[in-house]
Amino acid sequence: MKGVFCEKLGTPDDLVVREVDDPAPPGEGEVTVALEARGLGFADLLVIAGGYQVQRPLPFAVGAEAAGRITEVGPGVTGFEAGDPVWTDGGCVERIVTRVERLTLLPAGVDLVAAAAFRGNYSTALYALQRGRLRAGETLLVHGAAGGVGLAAVDVGKLMGARVIATAGTDEKLEVVGAMGADHLVNYTDGFRERVKALTDGRGADVIYDPVGGDVFDESMRCIAPFGRLLIIGFTSGRPALAKTNHLLIKDAEAIGLRIDHMLVHEPAWARRNDRALLGWLASGRIRPHVSHRLPLSKTPEALRLIAGRKVIGKVVVVND
Amino acid sequence: MKGVFCETLGTPDDLVVREIEDPGRPGEGEVAVDLEVRGISYTDLLMVAGRYQVKPDLPFVVGGQAAGRIAEVGPGVGDFERGDPVLAGGGCVERTVTRADRVTRLPEGVDLAEAASFGANYATALYALQRGRLLVGETLLVHGAAGGVGLAAVDVGKLMGARVIATASTAEKLAVVGQMGADHLIDYTDGFREQVKALTDDRGADVIYDPVGGDVFDESMRCIAPFGRILIVGFTGGRPALAKTNHLLIKDAEAIGFTIGALERHDPEWAERNRRTILDWLASGRIHPYISHRVPLSRTADALKLIAERKVIGKVVVVND
Repeated sequence: MKGVFCEKLGTPDDLVVREVDDPAPPGEGEVTVALEARGLGFADLLVIAGGYQVQRPLPFAVGAEAAGRITEVGPGVTGFEAGDPVWTDGGCVERIVTRVERLTLLPAGVDLVAAAAFRGNYSTALYALQRGRLRAGETLLVHGAAGGVGLAAVDVGKLMGARVIATAGTDEKLEVVGAMGADHLVNYTDGFRERVKALTDGRGADVIYDPVGGDVFDESMRCIAPFGRLLIIGFTSGRPALAKTNHLLIKDAEAIGLRIDHMLVHEPAWARRNDRALLGWLASGRIRPHVSHRLPLSKTPEALRLIAGRKVIGKVVVVND
Repeated sequence: MKGVFCETLGTPDDLVVREIEDPGRPGEGEVAVDLEVRGISYTDLLMVAGRYQVKPDLPFVVGGQAAGRIAEVGPGVGDFERGDPVLAGGGCVERTVTRADRVTRLPEGVDLAEAASFGANYATALYALQRGRLLVGETLLVHGAAGGVGLAAVDVGKLMGARVIATASTAEKLAVVGQMGADHLIDYTDGFREQVKALTDDRGADVIYDPVGGDVFDESMRCIAPFGRILIVGFTGGRPALAKTNHLLIKDAEAIGFTIGALERHDPEWAERNRRTILDWLASGRIHPYISHRVPLSRTADALKLIAERKVIGKVVVVND
């Protein structure tokens, strides 16, 4: 079968697409899954560059989150059968063998491309807005709103009843963010503080969702409402900011750090509850993951280049050749 | 009557004790209060030096919270009569006239010195631990535990069912903190991180109450539990720390800033509920404000020097000459 591998840390150009042996038949408690769609995000770019919090031993298959169908069930497996649509974390290969505990059964009729594209982003967005204790009627400011985790936060924030102000770097991106339902769009090329203040009668935003960091974090501290919560999602700017504790004190504000992988380990029950909520919303059309690009498996490096070049809006998905 | 004034910003030695005219009779909606005891704190020292966030116009009366008895009731005031024990503002003067709605009735039998000394510290401690969402059974780390706001946090933290680890800088101070009920005492002259880790099976503290800032904040970030909350209470160390947002992210931690003044402005009902709760606890003996020094009014400067020299444990109060 075909797979896309990172054999040395570097750029998308260093990735290798090659034939590998099919995995062995599933053992006790295992199943084989034929993957159909894989979601790629900014984190995958960091992983192949060796710049992510979690380092993986070389070589490894690029990507993680994926959706597919079960093709074979090993001994002792109950609750799954061949043909079932599932979520898993196999990345850019055609088939995987995995333990059933690592699978989530998808509702029948869910589009596998949408399912593959949304898990990581929407889990992060939902968990973050829970940690930020976002309440209906509050104002949510989402930075990098055209990126995967940003667009998901706009979608989930609206579903939770917030008024959403979204920032992005180009008008083209803002158009997609507007279609997702954001109430106010801010092109942050020239800053955003004054616009946010003007849109909130000078109060600032109650919850700020910041996957960018650096200058964006610093400017956010200047338009946060009293009792506001600033969610530290990541650092796509490349610079983690320093939060001035005296500013936090004066503004009665909270800086909240969070990591979805950490939550999966420490709070598995919470994670499963969130998965079920998200899948229910996906099946009923209450959330609408946006996929801007679909590329075949052998073009995976191109998919990562699109992310590096900030061309992706929402998500890029890798389908089979 | 006698009063203690700050006429030029500076040190306690620059304060002036002088005779001034009585404030006159209470007008419509006002009461006159004969003050008996006044609480003095680190905040007053900062104000006298002109280094507090709030800068009153010169000259001003030193101190704020005080306890006394109603001396005279103005027209239209129905809730009070002469002789009632009350909490009022006013500071280091013998008598004050104030609006009746700014006066809080004290339960009969409450010690006026305890009442004068506990208000601001316990209000700060309770509000902070509410903002930090302290849960029964969690581990609370209190820094500067022999100071006024620190000792109050030990007392309220125990009442809320937390396990309390307290830090202070001398064995004498720690003895008082231990009497207040702290479960573990740490002399932090040589740091505290390793001891906190050892006491929590390496997890760290769930909630950290930090009135010190600076190096203490930085070291606290190294012994905070996953999903932990660090409360930015103040900066008695003189340096507000910078919170590294990537550390907050990695540890799933929150840095929470707050001021008790903002609670009064933004959520007066919450503030009032807390005041009543604390008074009930005081009346029923569930909290135990600690007073290390009682100083007469004309020696108010000595009271501030005791604070500056870090001699005070819990609270110093100013009584009448």
